[in-house]
Amino acid sequence: MRATSLSFSGVSRRFGRVAVLRGAAGEVAAGGLLAVRGPNGSGKSTLLRCLAGLLAIERGEIRAREEGRELATADRRRRIGFLAPDLALYEELSVAENVELFARLRGVAPEPGLAIARRFALPAGRPWGALSSGMRQRLRWAWALLHAPRLLLLDEPFQNLDAEGEATARALLDEHLASGGLAVAASPVSLPLPRITGELDLAR
Amino acid sequence: MRKPLLLLLWLWMCGIIVAAYHWAPLAEGFKGDSSRILFFHVPVAWVSFVAFMAAGVSSLRFLAGRREARHDRSAAVAVELGLLFALLATLTGAIWARIEWGAWWNWDPRQTSIVVAMLFYAAYLALRSAIADQESRGRLSAAYATLGLVVAPFFYFILPRLAFTLHPEPVVNASGEVDVDPRMLAVLLASSAGFTVLYFWIHRLRARLAGIELRRDEGTE
Amino acid sequence: MSSTWLAEAFAVFGKDWRSEMRARHSVATLVLFALTTLIIASLALGPIGASPGERSEVVAALLWILLLFAAAAGLPRAFVHEEESRTAAALRLAARPSAVFAGKLLWVASLLAALEAIATPLAVALFDLEVASPLGLLAALAGGGLGLAAATTVLAAIVAQGRGATTLFAALAFPLLVPLAVLAVAATRSALLGGEAGPVLLQLLLYDGSIVVAGFLLFPVIWNP
Repeated sequence: MRATSLSFSGVSRRFGRVAVLRGAAGEVAAGGLLAVRGPNGSGKSTLLRCLAGLLAIERGEIRAREEGRELATADRRRRIGFLAPDLALYEELSVAENVELFARLRGVAPEPGLAIARRFALPAGRPWGALSSGMRQRLRWAWALLHAPRLLLLDEPFQNLDAEGEATARALLDEHLASGGLAVAASPVSLPLPRITGELDLAR
Repeated sequence: MRKPLLLLLWLWMCGIIVAAYHWAPLAEGFKGDSSRILFFHVPVAWVSFVAFMAAGVSSLRFLAGRREARHDRSAAVAVELGLLFALLATLTGAIWARIEWGAWWNWDPRQTSIVVAMLFYAAYLALRSAIADQESRGRLSAAYATLGLVVAPFFYFILPRLAFTLHPEPVVNASGEVDVDPRMLAVLLASSAGFTVLYFWIHRLRARLAGIELRRDEGTE
Repeated sequence: MSSTWLAEAFAVFGKDWRSEMRARHSVATLVLFALTTLIIASLALGPIGASPGERSEVVAALLWILLLFAAAAGLPRAFVHEEESRTAAALRLAARPSAVFAGKLLWVASLLAALEAIATPLAVALFDLEVASPLGLLAALAGGGLGLAAATTVLAAIVAQGRGATTLFAALAFPLLVPLAVLAVAATRSALLGGEAGPVLLQLLLYDGSIVVAGFLLFPVIWNP
């Protein structure tokens, strides 16, 4: 196992009596990208939420390492960068205020996050509640990266983005992987992404 | 529980009924034989407290350990039984109150506080039924029952002493002295012990049954 | 380490106040509820008829009933809104649970303090009461307010993850709050009428301490799967 890596095996999760995930397994190391595929309802989002520590798993194991250090669940939750379509920021707070708030909560300087927001050409003073869905997705990217995470979990990363937004997002992902980070990206369609080092098809 | 032990428990409880009516003296200042209900009323009230505490302990074990479903089930069963015993305590108390005070219900602080305790634990069951996901249900209801570990002593020991009460002094009164006839005390303690063992026996049966039902339901899926 | 923990807790507290100042979800509900109840009660009871002592007895109870129901109506929002507007995940991923709890507790306590600051003088004026011990009244309000805040914060975090959060909140909160209400009413009554309040305040403090400590210990379990 490499110094910075994420591996999971036998990950199972039910909702009521519906088994959404049955023994999902995968592995990705620094600089690599694990592409998770599968039709609607195959458990992609559930898997990512489990990996993020937002959902408890019933069976299986998730191991995350950063620079050789094994992360406990509580650490993993705070260290990862997470992007998902149903993640929202505070409606009444502006783009800049949201970035500053979460930088303070994570104990990092707000400047890198604000810089990403500028790269996405986000209007700093506009509240989350008044952002279009494409702009929200841009801000989700800035939110996910503002603490320079090593482990990045991306659920539908390019949803609602226009060509310009997708280009910026791809550039950010490239920089993240080039600097020794790793990523897991989930999408129902095959994403033409560089540096894919592993694939997991949940449809089986 | 093994058969001989069960027989022993049965004989013990029979002995208590006989002793309560034929060996223990009557307490002074009460109408007729009404004070004899004490030998059943106090133990069931005590057992309801034990059950609620047991629910809290099972919940702590659930949260602190590897979140095993059997601890979650054990807590839920303990709450159900605690409610049953609290209801018995309320009913026996009401019968006694009718004879001594002339009314089934008097809003005495002790009557009120056991009702509040019952409401608290009835809310536990409401909480369980409001959460569909098994993981969240176990986690959240265990947190609530653990909170009960902290507040139940308020219900049972602090709240009843706050206001003026007609209720007889608790057996161990505020000054910590025991002021009861030794034979009465002996029957009372023996009865409390008997009811406590009875509770743990029923609890074990119910928890096993709940486990079997769960496996049956999963098997037929 | 501890200074960043404080910064986290204050950041949670600060963002709740900022959102509140812009949208006014909670303050309006709380103040309207309190005002309406007080006015109805003062119209119904009036300062005429009852002796000052009797009025103090009634108002001590009335004030806490009002605060309790206002809390039940307006405060579960502290967590329910995070879950409903789907911001809870962002908060879970960014902040330590204990800092979230501290921030939310501070937020709820400050709302209650503001409500008490409005409702108490108004009650004293409307019912023409005399306050025997202003310091005792302050202690009763602070002690009762802290316990109410701690209990509602913990329970709001629990019910926010279930169905029918508001009704569920009422079912869970009222039994838990009965000891607090009884103690707070007793402390308020003796502050208004004068009299020994020490033991009751001590028990109130014991209740507050138990709930706050239990809250800090249990919150990580409640908040995170």
